[in-house]
Amino acid sequence: MSQTVLVCDDAIFMRTMISDILAQAGYEIVGEAETGVQAVERYKQLKPDLVTMDIVMPDLGGIEAVREIVKFDPAARILMCSAMGQQALVVEAIQAGARDFVVKPFQPSRVLEAVQRVLG
Amino acid sequence: MDLSQYTELFRAETRDHLTTLNRLLLEWEQQPDRPEPVAGIFRAVHTVKGMAATMGYARVADLAHRAETLLDLLRSSGRAVTEDELEVLFRTADAIEALVEATVTGREGEVDLTPLLGELDAVATRRAPAEQPGRRRRISFVALPAGAGRKVEVQLRADCALKGARALLVLKRVERLGTVLGVEPAPAALTGDEFDGRFAFRLESQAPDERVESEVRAAGDVQGLTIEAPAAAGAGETTDREAGRSRHIRVDLRRLDMLMNVIGELVAARGRLEHLSQARRDPELADGVAVFSGLTRRLQSEILAARMTPVWQVFDRFPRLVRDLSRQLGKQVQFRVEGKEIELDRAILDEIGDPLVHLLRNAVDHGIEGPEERTALGKPPAGQITLAAMRDRETVVIIVSDDGRGIRRDRILEEAKRRGVVDPHASAIPDDQLLRVLGRSGFSTAGAVSAVSGRGVGVDVVLTRLRELGGSVEVRSEAGQGTTFTLRLPPTLAIVRALLARVGSERYALPLTHVAETVELDGARVTAYEGRDALLLRDELLPLVHLRDVLAIEGDAPPARRPVVVLQVGDRRTGLVIDRMEGQQEIVVKAFTPPRGTLPVFSGATVLGDGEPVLILDAGGLV
Repeated sequence: MSQTVLVCDDAIFMRTMISDILAQAGYEIVGEAETGVQAVERYKQLKPDLVTMDIVMPDLGGIEAVREIVKFDPAARILMCSAMGQQALVVEAIQAGARDFVVKPFQPSRVLEAVQRVLG
Repeated sequence: MDLSQYTELFRAETRDHLTTLNRLLLEWEQQPDRPEPVAGIFRAVHTVKGMAATMGYARVADLAHRAETLLDLLRSSGRAVTEDELEVLFRTADAIEALVEATVTGREGEVDLTPLLGELDAVATRRAPAEQPGRRRRISFVALPAGAGRKVEVQLRADCALKGARALLVLKRVERLGTVLGVEPAPAALTGDEFDGRFAFRLESQAPDERVESEVRAAGDVQGLTIEAPAAAGAGETTDREAGRSRHIRVDLRRLDMLMNVIGELVAARGRLEHLSQARRDPELADGVAVFSGLTRRLQSEILAARMTPVWQVFDRFPRLVRDLSRQLGKQVQFRVEGKEIELDRAILDEIGDPLVHLLRNAVDHGIEGPEERTALGKPPAGQITLAAMRDRETVVIIVSDDGRGIRRDRILEEAKRRGVVDPHASAIPDDQLLRVLGRSGFSTAGAVSAVSGRGVGVDVVLTRLRELGGSVEVRSEAGQGTTFTLRLPPTLAIVRALLARVGSERYALPLTHVAETVELDGARVTAYEGRDALLLRDELLPLVHLRDVLAIEGDAPPARRPVVVLQVGDRRTGLVIDRMEGQQEIVVKAFTPPRGTLPVFSGATVLGDGEPVLILDAGGLV
């Protein structure tokens, strides 16, 4: 059975792109979220093997969402998606429990490497 | 939040960091082109800055911040540190200390930092690279200080994005394997733009190297890594402190003193109880007392152990002192410190700082000759001064020695004659009399008074202080070869083992600190030597002192068989003839101010187990 992924990003463009990269590599996209609150809710429902999480999202930000999810499931595997220049936020996310990060603009190979590290 | 409760802690911890700072600056000065000490210097300054800012001591924090800026420039420039720059850093360390003291006592306004701040900025400006605007400064890699665990160096791939965050992932992963210490550059700098992807840390872990490597690589974007063997034991002397993981708490010294007083009373009470129990001959009482005595003894040794402090806590400030003095006086001095780990009771340690400062000042000022004079004498231009601590049986010995010109006996003799301290016809002063002459209050060895020493206080301070501590001083000096002062101290104050000596109807306590052995007085082996009685002991002629005569005790004739207590102060040995020995006891030393005219042979008083007060004999005064 393929591993399941929840993709969280406020931009449809980004969600689509990530979903495509991962689906092509054989992962099953079980859900998407466009806000932090949604991300936490969906995680609780779907219990995916992996979450990709944008840092900047409406209402509950990505970092807060990481905290909430890790509180719910300390074993949660979360991959942060960030832009250049967001180092401080990425560091905060890692401290909060995120397992790895990828930096936009995405290169598919980089994204897949990071996913494998997180799931490995 | 009320911060005042943290003031003492802040002060004590800042002092520790300043000591480290001075030590490392001295190391750096020795080898200005080697940047190893910089990491530690940076850390010390940085920690003080953080603590001061938390306490709201803005000026301290600002001063530390400026020092940090200079340090940052120094380590990124890759060029050796200059004398001027070090001088400013030394003065900054002093200024931080002064400012902290002034600030915590509410006298902050009295410290004027303007000149120093100006110099700090000037030095920093000169050092700042003439860079094009917009060019990023890179934090160059700084070697880790020695310490526990394996040293791991990691190089991230050049195209790795957000290198700081990646480095953090590496650290998070290895943290699962053990304890990560001393990350370099500091974690705060990792997220700066200047971080170039190269970092190092120490890992204390049972995991094999392969496991460490796979864990580091699993964090991603790792180009290369090296894992070094753990540092050899002993190199990590300061590891615990540096890692901030030592399992120590700070205790107000007054608490320990209080506890010590109570233990002192307890020991005296135990003595009384043991005495009473012996008189009763009640086995049940004897059992109970034996248990009580054992517990008291354990309590006593625990509290004494808690008070023991390594001498480096005092010694560590001396390299800086010697450096400053020798520069001021235009001399070259190599200063060696040995036996830093030897422990003394905190109360004694606190008291020996001043005497040692006097002796070290004398050594630099009067002992070591100027470089030209030394060269002319065929000596190396740099003089040697050694400060060494060691254990010797029941005592701790501290030696201050130099290879300088030696004490000018001719001048001393002249001055001593003038003052009527020695026989006007004397032609020489032997070592043992030298100390007695030098120890006279106001007696100076210096031909001229210098700003450093020679004000006529010095050796007398040393002698007085050491006597108060139940210790002794010796001096040896040879013209052209140097001078050695030997201080002998009991390792703990207040409670010492003593031998009880009876003469006539009087009893005296004789601390074991200076007792070498006891022998029986064999009349057949007593001869006269230089007008005094002497005992032929093995192949040594031991001068005898009859305590009965010294103290002018009258009464029954002394018993025919009498013991001789062999006292040893340094190399000098004397046999003290007493009537009878009455065993050993632990005594609690009470300070004692002798009435005028009392012979200088008592160092204190104590109350024995049976409730009788007795005087404590001072071996230094008898030998």
